[in-house]
Amino acid sequence: MSEMNPELLITITTILVSGIGIVLGTAIPAIVEGRAVLKALDGITRQPEAANDIRTTLLISMALLESTAIYVLLVILILLFANPLLTQFFN
Amino acid sequence: MESITPQIILYIFGIPISSTIISTWVTMLLITAFVLVISKFSPDALDMIGEFLTSMISGIMPEKNIDIYLPLLGTLAIFIAVSNSIGIIPILTAPTSDINTPIALSIVIFFSVHLFGIQKFGLIGYIKELATPIFLFPFEIIGQISRTVSLSLRLFGNILSGELISAIIFGLIPLVAPLPFIGLSLFIGILQAYVFTALSSVYIDAAVAANNNLV
Repeated sequence: MSEMNPELLITITTILVSGIGIVLGTAIPAIVEGRAVLKALDGITRQPEAANDIRTTLLISMALLESTAIYVLLVILILLFANPLLTQFFN
Repeated sequence: MESITPQIILYIFGIPISSTIISTWVTMLLITAFVLVISKFSPDALDMIGEFLTSMISGIMPEKNIDIYLPLLGTLAIFIAVSNSIGIIPILTAPTSDINTPIALSIVIFFSVHLFGIQKFGLIGYIKELATPIFLFPFEIIGQISRTVSLSLRLFGNILSGELISAIIFGLIPLVAPLPFIGLSLFIGILQAYVFTALSSVYIDAAVAANNNLV
């Protein structure tokens, strides 16, 4: 452990951070989107005639919420498949 | 596993042609052939598609004459829907799983939003409209750029994640197991085409509405 290969250290750190990051980055937007759907269903049951407007707004706002999860996914894909630190320091 | 950037398969006059450009051409060919064949045999089906797109876009931007926006937004919806779904043909990869295609599409949206705004208010009037509380003008510019970036990254990330998940499951269990994930990525592709078109409509709507820069 005292003499660890730095390339191995960066790889292990990347894998650990990717695992933790993808869990947090998908769980939190999923919870928030669930609350948004809950509120929208509440509104639809109260006013069924406004269902079309609510559905459009719900889809657009869920796409905006979803984009944070997509950012996390892209960062982790870059870390896993095209890690800039590994290519910068070791090639 | 292959990298997340598409591989270059041939050079034409020194210009690199990647696999996603080939599938973009296939997409364009498919749409054109479909329209030609359908318009010869049953023009009512084309009417139905146009009606569907019109009702979808006019549901997002109500109380507006959408005739000048419909060609751009309808073409976007059809092109993105077909090019998201074309990844299920085994030798092709979806054009939108390459970062260049969504960035090109959202740059088109970026410029056309401001062109529609300038067309409505005139150049000076549109800039005045953007800078109505003058201390919020820098944030307005940051918002305009970041929403263009997020529009393209959202489409790219969704389609790429669908393809990667299918590939991973295919590597683990090659037989029946990838089917539900392929179905899910098809559904997500259609949904993302809707979302891209809806967000573009919202941006255009906010640009041509007075004092109403919502998103």
